Amino acid sequence: MKKILTTCEFCGCGCNFYLGVEDDKVTAVYPSTSHQVSQGKLCVKGWMGHEYIHSAERLKTPLIKEGDKFREASWDEAYQLIADRLRQTKERYGSDSIVMSSSAKCTNEENYLLQKLARAAIGTNNVDHCARLCHASTVIGLSQTFGSGAMTNSIPEIGSADVIFVIGSNTTEQHPLVADQIVKGVKKGARLIVADPRQIQLTKLAALHLSHRPGTDVALINGMLNVIIAEDLVDREFVDSRTEGFEELKEAVAGYTPRKAAKITGVPAEKIVEAARIYARGKKGTIIYAMGITQHTTGVDNVTSCANLAMLTGNVGKESTGVNPLRGQNNVQGACDMGTLPNVFPGYQAVTNDELRQKFEKAWGVKLPSQPGVTVTEAINKMIAGEIKALYIMGENPMISDPDMSHTEKALKNLGFLVVQDIFLTETARLADVVLPGVSFAEKDGTFTSTERKVQRVRKAIEPVGSSRPDWEIITELSSYLGYKMDYPSPREVMDEIAKLTPSYGGISYDRLERGGLCWPCPSPDHPGTPYLHKEKFARPGGKGKFFAVPYRPPAELPDDEYPFTLTTGRTGFHWHTGTMTRKDWALDREYPKGYVEINPQDAANTGIRNGAMVKVASRRGEISVQANVVDTIQEGLVFIPFHFAEAAANKLTAANLDPVAKIPEYKVCAVKLERG
Amino acid sequence: MTENIYAPHLVTIKQVRDEAEGVKTFKLAFNDAAVGETFTYRPGQFGEVTIFGVGEAPISITSSPVDKGYLELAVAGVGKVTRALHLKQQGDVIGFRGPYGNGFPFDEVKGNDILFVAGGIGLAPLRSLINQMFAERDKFGKIGILYGTRYPALLCFRDDIDRWAGLENSGVLLTVDTAPDNGWEGNIGVVGSLLPKTRIDLENTVAFVCGPPIMIHFVIMDLLKMGFGEDKIITTMERRMECGLGKCGHCNIGEKYVCLDGPVFSYQHLKELGESVELHTFGR
Amino acid sequence: MSEMKILDKAKLAEFIEKLGADFEVIVPQREDGNLVFGSLDHTQPVVEFTGKPLVPPKEYLFPQREELLTFTVKGKEIRVEAHLDNVKRVIWGIRPCDLAGIKTLDTIFLSNYTDNYYQARRENTILMGLNCNEPCSSGFCSPLGTGPFAKDSFDLLFTDLGNRFLIETGSEAGRELVASSADLFAEARDADKAKLKELEEKCKRAFKSPLPSTVDLATVSNKLSGAWSDALWTEESETCILCGGCNFVCPTCHCFNVEDVPAEQQGVSTRVRYWDSCQLGGFTQMAAENTRRTQAERLRQRVFHKLVYIPDKYNGAVGCTGCGRCIEVCPGEISITNILGRVMVK
Repeated sequence: MKKILTTCEFCGCGCNFYLGVEDDKVTAVYPSTSHQVSQGKLCVKGWMGHEYIHSAERLKTPLIKEGDKFREASWDEAYQLIADRLRQTKERYGSDSIVMSSSAKCTNEENYLLQKLARAAIGTNNVDHCARLCHASTVIGLSQTFGSGAMTNSIPEIGSADVIFVIGSNTTEQHPLVADQIVKGVKKGARLIVADPRQIQLTKLAALHLSHRPGTDVALINGMLNVIIAEDLVDREFVDSRTEGFEELKEAVAGYTPRKAAKITGVPAEKIVEAARIYARGKKGTIIYAMGITQHTTGVDNVTSCANLAMLTGNVGKESTGVNPLRGQNNVQGACDMGTLPNVFPGYQAVTNDELRQKFEKAWGVKLPSQPGVTVTEAINKMIAGEIKALYIMGENPMISDPDMSHTEKALKNLGFLVVQDIFLTETARLADVVLPGVSFAEKDGTFTSTERKVQRVRKAIEPVGSSRPDWEIITELSSYLGYKMDYPSPREVMDEIAKLTPSYGGISYDRLERGGLCWPCPSPDHPGTPYLHKEKFARPGGKGKFFAVPYRPPAELPDDEYPFTLTTGRTGFHWHTGTMTRKDWALDREYPKGYVEINPQDAANTGIRNGAMVKVASRRGEISVQANVVDTIQEGLVFIPFHFAEAAANKLTAANLDPVAKIPEYKVCAVKLERG
Repeated sequence: MTENIYAPHLVTIKQVRDEAEGVKTFKLAFNDAAVGETFTYRPGQFGEVTIFGVGEAPISITSSPVDKGYLELAVAGVGKVTRALHLKQQGDVIGFRGPYGNGFPFDEVKGNDILFVAGGIGLAPLRSLINQMFAERDKFGKIGILYGTRYPALLCFRDDIDRWAGLENSGVLLTVDTAPDNGWEGNIGVVGSLLPKTRIDLENTVAFVCGPPIMIHFVIMDLLKMGFGEDKIITTMERRMECGLGKCGHCNIGEKYVCLDGPVFSYQHLKELGESVELHTFGR
Repeated sequence: MSEMKILDKAKLAEFIEKLGADFEVIVPQREDGNLVFGSLDHTQPVVEFTGKPLVPPKEYLFPQREELLTFTVKGKEIRVEAHLDNVKRVIWGIRPCDLAGIKTLDTIFLSNYTDNYYQARRENTILMGLNCNEPCSSGFCSPLGTGPFAKDSFDLLFTDLGNRFLIETGSEAGRELVASSADLFAEARDADKAKLKELEEKCKRAFKSPLPSTVDLATVSNKLSGAWSDALWTEESETCILCGGCNFVCPTCHCFNVEDVPAEQQGVSTRVRYWDSCQLGGFTQMAAENTRRTQAERLRQRVFHKLVYIPDKYNGAVGCTGCGRCIEVCPGEISITNILGRVMVK
């Protein structure tokens, strides 16, 4: 049996393990005890979640839609058709009528090549990916406050913090090896504060659980800031030497007394005061957050508030502190780093910056578009309006993952041309004109960048199944059909090119990665990588962190008489996103074969809904029928639906209410009604 | 030749009968005549049925050893495999391996009056025992059968029930939980409500109880209240069973495996198994 | 009658190479700082190592994923093919905890119904143990009496005496292997045998465990039974993330799930056996209900199965060999020695 060391394909923890291979099949998993994050441990997805690789439903050949059925086609025919249609679309409607949607599951090399394809071969900056749906708020919020939109510290440091503030993250289920650090920390005496409208598993270990109303995070944190300033718990030295904007902040939070914050959030004032004191008095306080903070119309404000809190107490630029967004996908951090974003090239270098753009023009040998492109969430409306004519999707299932499903469906069906490159015939792929079979993480080489900015190797363990091809090969081959040559012997050389153009990846090479992962910034071949950021100065020009005064704004759609419940959507630890991989795995499917809606017992009693009975949940956008799970871990007035189950799709109900700057949808709050049956 | 313990024998479906709402009875015969001839089993045992391409499921045998040349299984279509089985037709070939489990005590209860209390599809394994007892009628005293379902459409084995009701020194009482709209003239109430209507000689009666866990729980409580000894109440335990061979671990309870040491247990044995969900709760 | 021989460390490679002519030789190998059992390429030396690989050698007898049967259906014609593995293997460097684990797996797989697949592999596998001269970080074999030195269940047992190994034969097969390379071995002297005793005592004294230095398994079983309804199961399972790791790395865990997996070709499916975990909620899920609904019940099941049920059912067979891997692999920091420590003082 061969054992191939690789990086997990599921979450942003970035665990490593060995895939055991026999007869070109993945048959075993062995943890890596020497890995700094994994430390020989894995969640159930790591141990048992890889059966989908060999599912009989894997796409094995290109497919072309004829009428309403697919037929098999050769690669040449598929590429030729795609190239012809894209060229025609470009000629008639312009390059910006085409959008390319990249995959946060695919490798850095693949993401780099896809944005290169969009920019150099097609001539558009319309390239984006699912970070738009999860951490777009982070990228903007932390960029404007710290100068860098990424997790400030590394995962192994968390266990040595003395105060851990988890807000909007069900860490045990979504980032299990980060939760392990939290458990270790608490066992060593750290005090844990959990802010979540639901009771999550970590609540059992928490010194304090703040059960705030969904969408009131700014008020909650402003309340804490108010207390910290009022009780003189501010880290004056840090604020004076390393930040700017304190006076504006002080003025802005003066009105958010504990009582006012309590009124807005529903959290008792004494708890807000206690939370502030615990966090501010800690020597090493760390903030950990995820979708509960980012997926709001006030997502950027929520993130900014976290940054405010950390800076006010001197909890940045030191070990075991910081503001730590937990990036969900195995490579969403990398996808962002590689510039599959409409406004920046790889390394967050602005497309509008002439000097930087010229650097890329020189490297890529072609003139590049200088205006920022459209985000995927805005593109949906443009598709309906007929302004976007063609969409190329790699490794994503927007039919189930985008908000307001009927809207998404309308948009996708209005396209002139849709290509989907994926490993299964997803709900989105079914709508495509051409489907290209890519491969899983086990069938190709490349790198993923985890949530702690660690770039790690993904190593090919088995051959691509059927006639499927590694996604990077597909992109380069398609590129020649489009008339722009991309010639790389292997992903290694792609990374070499990335390193030349991306300062934070400057010192990254496959040779170095053989000895282990590297945390960017890693600007040169002898730089050891950077476990935590902002040590001496912030990455902002001028070196200082900036406070932003953030007023509380309520969510876009609150409950009313017609739709009296708040719906918040989320995940479980056993399925991954739209379930395309995990619902084909017996072990994971056995845990949750069906969707469900969590309802508070009082609400259930009032609406006559019994545990296990079917419930109709409806919003202004649509309606689903789903099984009730009556639990006392959720607030009255709130229901929770995981979005993994296409036949009970949570996103039929959600609304495409976007953060005005980040354009991220408010998945965490919309209004619904419940009915028996 | 050593037999592969995971490999099924091939069996052909000789007949499919709509037994009740959601329940079908399948008559099976081994394709290999030699296997068919040497296959023996005891009432209360079960087999593992393979639907090729779908999977395997444990199903109790409802025919009796006295019925030569075929096996009968009564199945509710509630899971992946049983739903696939429900789509099969006469002439189709499926897989079967067994028999597994300990079966009901038979020789040990000879000479006694026998009381059967069945709920829903729980009558299926008991039917195997009832018909075997009727085939050796002189070895047993009075035979009383109490049977209830939620509503009439769920009653199984109506032909057997009619036949048993007409046999000497035997009696059948039926009940349904709820009265339907059209013409049910029988008892209404849970099956335990039939117990006061029986005349039981406690010293010489053994009770066999089979049905949904909650029904077993309440009936056993009723029987104990009536004065039945703990070793005179025999029931079957339901657990998620997979291999049927005491190896995969799913049906492990205490030091027993439901597929090896059960599924038949006396109440006395059940009490000794700490984890019996019929009898205990855990902080619920 | 057990024989005792001496093998110079320098001659180990030659002995292993000779074995390689007739057997696939499995040894602990070092990869990227990890110790993993793997097939030895005879050009590589056998590494010196301390501790033990995180995944025990049980997978050579009971693989993580094993194809049992292939069904080919053509109309009413159905062919059933079995896939038994008859490869001859030597596994070298097995720690006493893992030898004890294999002994228990033998009992479980070969009694009641003989598992054809386990039997085929077991009959073709030679076990060569390696005693532990120092405790590993999480092991508690010494209090349980399953280590640090093995007493049985091996074909050959090695003890590192410094520049040479003391080898005890434990079976006819072991004796034959020594005899066929007789020129490599010398007779063990009294001083060697004394050193054996000395090393064992030294190692035992060095154990630091929450448990007392010896623990009577019958007492553990009784104490556990008395703690059936204790709140400690809820407390200790609070951080369980349902990963299954504790079961996968356990030398005696053997629960599995069988799935019939459709192949790409029409009518073909494969009956595959996979490692399963009683810590997963779905393990006991039935159509209408789940008979172990809380993590507390599942944690209790794991501990009881090892320390109460297996000894009860199989006449004192060892269900927990004290290897400590379940402690190392847990992302919820749950420790069976902490649990036992709590139970023993009740």
